[in-house]
Amino acid sequence: MKNKLFEKYFVFSPYFWLVLFFFIPLAIIFKISISVSEWGMPPYQDIFLFDNGFKINTTFENYVYIFSDYYYIGSFVNSLILALISTFFCLLIGFPLAFYIATSNIRLRNILLVLVVIPFWSSFLLRVYAWKIILQNNGILNVILLNLGITSEPLQLLYNQYAVIMGIVYTYLPLMILPLYGYLNKFDLNFIEASKDLGLNRIKTFFKVILPLSVPGIVAGSLLVFIPVVGEFIIPEMLGGSDRLYYGKILWEEFFVNRNWPGASALAFSGIIILVLPIVIFQILYSRWSEKNEI
Amino acid sequence: MDNNFLVIENISKSFGDNKVLENINLNISKSEFFGLLGSSGSGKTTLLRILGGFEKPDTGRVILDGTDITNLEPFERPLNYMFQSYALFPHLNVFNNLAFGIKENFTQKEIEINVRNIAELLSIEHLLNRRIKQLSGGEQQRVALGRCLIKKPKLLLLDEPLAALDKKLRSKTQLELTTLQKKLKITFVFVTHDQEEAMSLSDRMAIMKNGLILECSSPEEIYENPKSLYTANFIGIANIIEIYKKDENFYSDDLGINFKLNKELKNTKTNILLRPEKIKIQSMNNLKTSSFNSFSGEILEKSYLGSFTRYEIKIKNMIISVLDQNFNSNSNYNFPKGEKVICSWESESIKVLED
Repeated sequence: MKNKLFEKYFVFSPYFWLVLFFFIPLAIIFKISISVSEWGMPPYQDIFLFDNGFKINTTFENYVYIFSDYYYIGSFVNSLILALISTFFCLLIGFPLAFYIATSNIRLRNILLVLVVIPFWSSFLLRVYAWKIILQNNGILNVILLNLGITSEPLQLLYNQYAVIMGIVYTYLPLMILPLYGYLNKFDLNFIEASKDLGLNRIKTFFKVILPLSVPGIVAGSLLVFIPVVGEFIIPEMLGGSDRLYYGKILWEEFFVNRNWPGASALAFSGIIILVLPIVIFQILYSRWSEKNEI
Repeated sequence: MDNNFLVIENISKSFGDNKVLENINLNISKSEFFGLLGSSGSGKTTLLRILGGFEKPDTGRVILDGTDITNLEPFERPLNYMFQSYALFPHLNVFNNLAFGIKENFTQKEIEINVRNIAELLSIEHLLNRRIKQLSGGEQQRVALGRCLIKKPKLLLLDEPLAALDKKLRSKTQLELTTLQKKLKITFVFVTHDQEEAMSLSDRMAIMKNGLILECSSPEEIYENPKSLYTANFIGIANIIEIYKKDENFYSDDLGINFKLNKELKNTKTNILLRPEKIKIQSMNNLKTSSFNSFSGEILEKSYLGSFTRYEIKIKNMIISVLDQNFNSNSNYNFPKGEKVICSWESESIKVLED
C-alpha cells in the first residue's frame, strides 16, 4: 500500500522540482521587479504595506525604465545576435562531426564520443581562461604567428566580439554535437544510398535527404546552445572587450554595481519572457509539424 | 538473345582480412530475371551492392550494355537498386517519393504524367497523397518498386524484395513481380536467402557460398541435376546416399542395397541424390523386392501436407524422406506409421554428385 502511494506521487517529483527551483524563484524575481526601489537592505520596498491599513505598493516604473533606455534593449539585441551567430557556427562545425561519429564503426564512435565529452571533466572557468592565455598579445598564437613571419607585431586577438564567439562555440559545441549524434545515430544510411541511386549527387543528397531528415536533431541541439548563450556572462566578461555589451553583463552590473534590484529583476524577467515565449510557440508549432510529417 | 548485357568479370572483394567475394564471373542476358541465392555471409548482398555502386570491388570489372561501369558513382549508373528496407523517404509523401529521381530533369507536367503512369502500373493511384508510415508493407514495396521503375533503368537490382512481407502476400507479390518483369522487359537481378523465392522468380539463378558461385543455371536444372552436395541440400529436400563401387555395381552400406547407375564414375566412392518425390511407395503385398533400385522399409514418421504426405522411412541404418502425392481422395489411402512398405524409383532419378 505504501509502495503504491509512493509510485503514485513519484511521477510528480519532476513537477515538484520545477515548482521549487523554477516557478518560485521566477515569482520572487517578478515580485522584486514590480517593487519600488530605495536605498537600504534589501534595496526595495515591500509590495504589501500594513502601517496605515493594507496598501499594495507596486510599480511598473522599472519596466518603463528598461524599455525606454536603448542601453538595455541594445544589450539584449547584442546577446540575441551573439547567440544566433554562435548557434550557427556550432551547427556548422557540429553537424559534420556528429554525422561522422554517428556513421563510423562502434570502436571509433566510442573514442570520438569520449573526446567530445572530455572537456566537461575540467573546469569551465579554467577552459575559458586557457583561451585567454592562447590569444593574449604575448600568447602562444601570437608567438607562433610572429615566428612564422605572418605578422610583424602581435595581433589584438583578445577582448573583442570574435574572441567571444570563438569561446562560446568552443564551450557549447558538445551541447550541439550530443543531441545531434543521438538523433543521427538512428539515421538509416540506406536513405543516402537510395538518394544517390536515384541520381542525386552528394550535395543534392545532403540538401534533399540528410538535412530534412535531421531537422529534429538540429532543433534540439540549436535550442540547447541558443538559450544559455543569450544569458552567457562569463565568456563575454573574460574574452570580450568594451566594444559590445551583452545582456548577462548588464544584468550583473544592474544587480551588483548599481544595486538596482527591481530594475535588474525587471530586466531578467523581461528577458525570460522575450526568450521563452517564442520558443514555446515554436515548440508547439514544430511538434505539430513533425507529427504531420512523421519525422 | 544478348548474353552479354551484364558482364561481371573477375570480381573480388575483401573487408579487412575477410574475403567476401572471390573471382566472381557471371554473364546475364537482357530481360533476364536473375537470382542470387545463398545463406547469410555468402557474399550475395556484397555482389549486388557492387553492381549498385555502393561498394568498390578490389579487382574485376562490371560491364552493363557494353559500358564499363565499375568506377561510376551510384548516381551515374543507368540502373536502380531496391533496398530490403525499401528506404522510402519518411519526409515525403508517396507522390514525391515516386517523383524523387525524376524531379531534376523533367517539367512539373512531365513529372505528373510519369508518376500517374507508374502508379497506374502498380495500382497505387489511390495512395499518392499518403505518407509512408500510413502504408502497409505490401504498399511500401510497390512504392519502392515504382520509385525505381519510373527512372526506366536498364537494370533493376532487388535486395530481398519479398523478405519484409508476410507469407500469403509474398506468394501473390511473387507472381506480380514476374508478370511485371516480363511486361517491362527490364533486366532484374535479385538477392535472396529463400530457395523457394529464388526458384519461383528466377529465369536463371546462381548459388553462392563463402564468396564463390557454386552453380549457375535454371531452377529446374539446379533442382534436378545439382552438381554439388551443398546445392543438393540447399535446394529442396534431399536424400543423400553414400555409395561405393563393389564388383560391377554400386553399393550403399547404410541402405544395404545395390544401385544401378547409367554412368561411369571417376571415383570409386561418391554421393548420390534421390529427391523425395521421385520415390514411389507401395504396399508390401503388391510387389516383391528386387535387388536393384528398390528397398523395403518401415514408416517412422508421417506428416500430412494436403497435396502431399511426407514420410520418413527407415531402411537399415538410414532414414529416407519420401513425398507421396495424395492422388486418391480416400483418406485411408495413406500408409500408417509402422507399416512396412516397398520403395522404388527409376534409375534416371538417381543423380550423382561429383563434387
